[in-house]
Amino acid sequence: MDDHEELAPTPGQRAGKFLKQKDIIQTIALGLFFTAVFVVLGLWFYPKWMPEAMSKEMVGDEGILKWFTVISAPIAGIVLAISAESFMNRRKGNEPATEDGAGIKTHGPVVLIWSAVSGLFCVLAIVWGIVEMNTWTSDALTNAPHALVVDVTGSQWAWSFEYPSLGVTSHDLYLPVGVPVQFNVVSADVNHSFWPVQLGVKVDANRLETTVVRTTPDKLGHFDVKCAELCGLYHAYMETNGEVVTQANFNNWIATAKANGGTES
Amino acid sequence: MPATKGKTVVGLVVTVTLSVAVLAGVGVLLHGHSYYNAPTESATVKGTIVGPDGKTYPHAFISDGIFGDPIDSQAHGKCNTLTVQEGTPAAAACDGGHPTWPSYGPYTHLVLPAHAYVTMTLHVYDSGGSLNVPYYASVVGTIGGTANYDGVDKASIDPTAVQHTFTLHGVPTSSQDPLFVNVPLPQSDDADAAGSPLPKGHTVTFSFITGGKGNYVWNCEYPCGDTSYQGFGAVMGSTGFMSGKVTVI
Amino acid sequence: MGTGTIVGVIFALVTYYVLRHHYSSPWRHNHGMDLTNTHFENVTLICSMFAWSLGFLVGIGAFIGPFRWLIGKDLTDEENLYLAGDGQGISRYFRYCTDHKVVGIQYLVGVMILLGSGGTMAMMIRTNLATPGSHFVTPIVYNSLVGLHGITMIIGLIIALTGPFGNFIMPIMIGAADMAFPRLNALSWWVLFTAIPVLSSAWFLGGIPTGWTAYAPLSTQAGPGMDAFLVTIIIFAVSTAVAGANITTTVVAMRAKGMSWNRVPIFVIGSTISVALAVPAFPTFMAAMVQTGLDRTLTTGFYNAQQGGSGWLYANLFWIMGHPEVYVILIPGVAALMEIAPVFVRKPLFSFGAAIAGFAGIAGLSVLVWAHHMYMAGWMPSLNGPFMITTEFISVPTGLLFLVVIGTLWRGKPWLKMPMLCVYAMLWNLLIGGITGIFLSDVPADNYLHGSMFVTAHFHYTLMGAALTGAIGGLAYWFPKMTGRMLNEPASYASFWFIQIGFQVLFLGMFMAGAEGQPRRVADYAQVFAHSDLVSTVGAYSVGLGFIILLWAVIHSWRSGKVAPMNPWGAKTLEWTVPYPVPLVNFDEAPVVKSDPYGYGRKVE
Repeated sequence: MDDHEELAPTPGQRAGKFLKQKDIIQTIALGLFFTAVFVVLGLWFYPKWMPEAMSKEMVGDEGILKWFTVISAPIAGIVLAISAESFMNRRKGNEPATEDGAGIKTHGPVVLIWSAVSGLFCVLAIVWGIVEMNTWTSDALTNAPHALVVDVTGSQWAWSFEYPSLGVTSHDLYLPVGVPVQFNVVSADVNHSFWPVQLGVKVDANRLETTVVRTTPDKLGHFDVKCAELCGLYHAYMETNGEVVTQANFNNWIATAKANGGTES
Repeated sequence: MPATKGKTVVGLVVTVTLSVAVLAGVGVLLHGHSYYNAPTESATVKGTIVGPDGKTYPHAFISDGIFGDPIDSQAHGKCNTLTVQEGTPAAAACDGGHPTWPSYGPYTHLVLPAHAYVTMTLHVYDSGGSLNVPYYASVVGTIGGTANYDGVDKASIDPTAVQHTFTLHGVPTSSQDPLFVNVPLPQSDDADAAGSPLPKGHTVTFSFITGGKGNYVWNCEYPCGDTSYQGFGAVMGSTGFMSGKVTVI
Repeated sequence: MGTGTIVGVIFALVTYYVLRHHYSSPWRHNHGMDLTNTHFENVTLICSMFAWSLGFLVGIGAFIGPFRWLIGKDLTDEENLYLAGDGQGISRYFRYCTDHKVVGIQYLVGVMILLGSGGTMAMMIRTNLATPGSHFVTPIVYNSLVGLHGITMIIGLIIALTGPFGNFIMPIMIGAADMAFPRLNALSWWVLFTAIPVLSSAWFLGGIPTGWTAYAPLSTQAGPGMDAFLVTIIIFAVSTAVAGANITTTVVAMRAKGMSWNRVPIFVIGSTISVALAVPAFPTFMAAMVQTGLDRTLTTGFYNAQQGGSGWLYANLFWIMGHPEVYVILIPGVAALMEIAPVFVRKPLFSFGAAIAGFAGIAGLSVLVWAHHMYMAGWMPSLNGPFMITTEFISVPTGLLFLVVIGTLWRGKPWLKMPMLCVYAMLWNLLIGGITGIFLSDVPADNYLHGSMFVTAHFHYTLMGAALTGAIGGLAYWFPKMTGRMLNEPASYASFWFIQIGFQVLFLGMFMAGAEGQPRRVADYAQVFAHSDLVSTVGAYSVGLGFIILLWAVIHSWRSGKVAPMNPWGAKTLEWTVPYPVPLVNFDEAPVVKSDPYGYGRKVE
């Protein structure tokens, strides 16, 4: 009788044997490398190229881009690792191969785990997005009663800004720092899109419909106001200046404009 | 075989060269149709003047006009404006392809000196109506916040009696000084049509101070693109009639 | 084609002059109802363009079959054979020919013309953006370039795979003798053909100031070139509907004996799902264009807020088409590469079921996500959350597609011929395109990214990097069966690297510009973007060079390339069992299928 009846290998033993195979080790190494590349990319790219954040919303925008890149790095890692491993394993020749590869038709657990993990990533992205959206909405609602209202009119091909409570209309957008602002945006003609870049918010301008967006500029300085919806001939030139200034400077600016008959000189 | 391989390489080189030539040809064609030959005027500098900030600036002068038809504007070809009849081949040579469109003229590209006190005069002859956005009936960006209308200084005009505006505004900022000027132009009592003498019209003069070198654009904010949506189609959506460039050098 | 053109031109000119005369009376002039009124100019142009299309189809004999059927004297077998181009030489490619292989070649040439024209416009666009200042073309020319480049490429990409390969290869792949509706097949091609001169005429009518999205009311305000655009879309929608019905019916009803659904090649499944998705989607674009046409001619107020309409109506109708449409483009490209990978790795396609689930899931979800293009429109901010949820979830079936491809690659020994190289390129490009899509689908991030060059880079990565790469791979793969020749290898490899490396430079530069805050569709930009735009332009020239080399490779190989054996890749699908030139009815005997086409692989221990 055979004393050396072998017991079936334990999952741990199986895993150990699996991980010791050459192509598995290489793939894992490649995967770690590509994951690291994308992590570094996410952490470096957006802060380097995105303009200065002058509101909480802009900080949130940049954060999402940065961290979503980092979170999706492992996905890039696996896909690129397997592609690279396969590429490295290529064969030469001008005739079709005579020998086939392994006849793996499917692998239930892998499909299931892959779907579950990608589903989880989705849920994470959704939850992050919804939480961020809700924060902005509730902030806006809290600030609404004491927000400075600016009526933004987009017309082909220039912006004009009216401060109805202060009786001033201007082509430059001056805002006092730290004061919540509510933009009521409308178009005189075709669709435009009001984009005060460094404030991280945007909303389209439509004819006879007022759309609203809110933010609180929290840093002093210059920002750009651009149009983000193709609106005809001079869409590229539909830009103007924004300035976040101290309350005192803002009051001076308003006073000068009012002395000039309600428009800035 | 070497001969075939040589022919192959020649074929490849010829294809690449021909394709690049086709691309270049298309490029030349599009560039030519791009209205870079806009009639240009440079401001003339005569003496100096003290600005409202107390500094002394070179005083530059420039003038232009607005007409109810392209032939009188002379911006789309030179014709004898009194004898040419609308709809004739002679008219086609100087109406820019659109005999009924009003036009700035004779210049649509203005060249101004940097850091100068620029005085601009516009002789305007077209009929008009209401602006889409009343804000553009105010004078913005000029010295004193006013413009001189037939001898009278005003800070704004009736937004329902505007013929056109001269709105000089930003190209993408951050590499050049901002420059924004808006001057509304009051409508004429009689309209200007080709082949007939000009109506009385108005003379509007205003001044502004330029910053550093830069490229700017101007367009009119009065919707004179008749029968198009909000009046901003047709003539308003084409180059060289109601829009142009300003270069500060 | 000659008679078609003549009759088409006659119809168009007659319509044009009749309407001009109609609108030219002095009475009409005095009452503003003449051609100086843009609405009447639009009526004249739109009617003339439709007349051209109809006239061309009449002239080329498209209606002879239905007409004869209507009067009870249906075409005889001989006449049908003649219509199928039996025994005719090269002239059958210029005629109304019902042989699906002829239609496939016609589509291939059509796709090459469209992509070549779109590519030329892309070179012009990037040249203008090489430096700030818009020195190359002025804004109105630039805006037209952007819009016409967009629509030309979209049309070209929609038909890039289902046109040439869906027509030529697919019936053979399923063991059929032809498509279900051969006459409709020819019709779908020639209808599309009539749209090409119509679209080109936009250049002579002042161009278009909108992008290919043709948002209202800018489209209402636009000059006569817009009429050419909207007529093109309506014509194209007809062509797509016809082709979609044809392909779907063929695959459902005409598979060979023994080819049950789990033995159908994945390219056939992908193409069918794609056109089945197109059939409900494109009519909304057509409807949107019809309404634009009515606003431009009869001054209806669909999109005019002053008359009680809204631009948002257009946006919704457009994007209900627009989002499924990008999957109509993407799915055949990925499916072709899924067809290719098993052949070149000699392993079964990993999890055929997951591939189908992936395609079907994408197609099903794609009709629920459209308003993610409208997060910033202000239309209904309360719906931003729900649309974000549906959009994020599309990444799950998309992820399955990745799993299928990398599962097929896993532990295989790839044969790195041109079709296989395209598989790797697609994996990289769709990875970046897909992940950046997830960023864009997140509402807060979209606050910054919407309307910027980031969006442009994202969709070029998916549509061009994945779908067009799939089309190139498909071309290299099926070239031997369609032309009897092998595609020149050194040239195809050179073109591959010029295109793909150039592509990365071009669009990674564009992600930079978008992150920096450059809006999209701008003829000119601030100095701060000069660096990224110049980088993009250099990449673009490399892509252009790569495509020129590919063009040479196609023409040269077609004429004098190496003669191809019947099955150069050692593949197992049915199209590789027929010789070249493929007989008129494809098979001598109807094939009987006994197994799935991915029967590679020694048993796994």
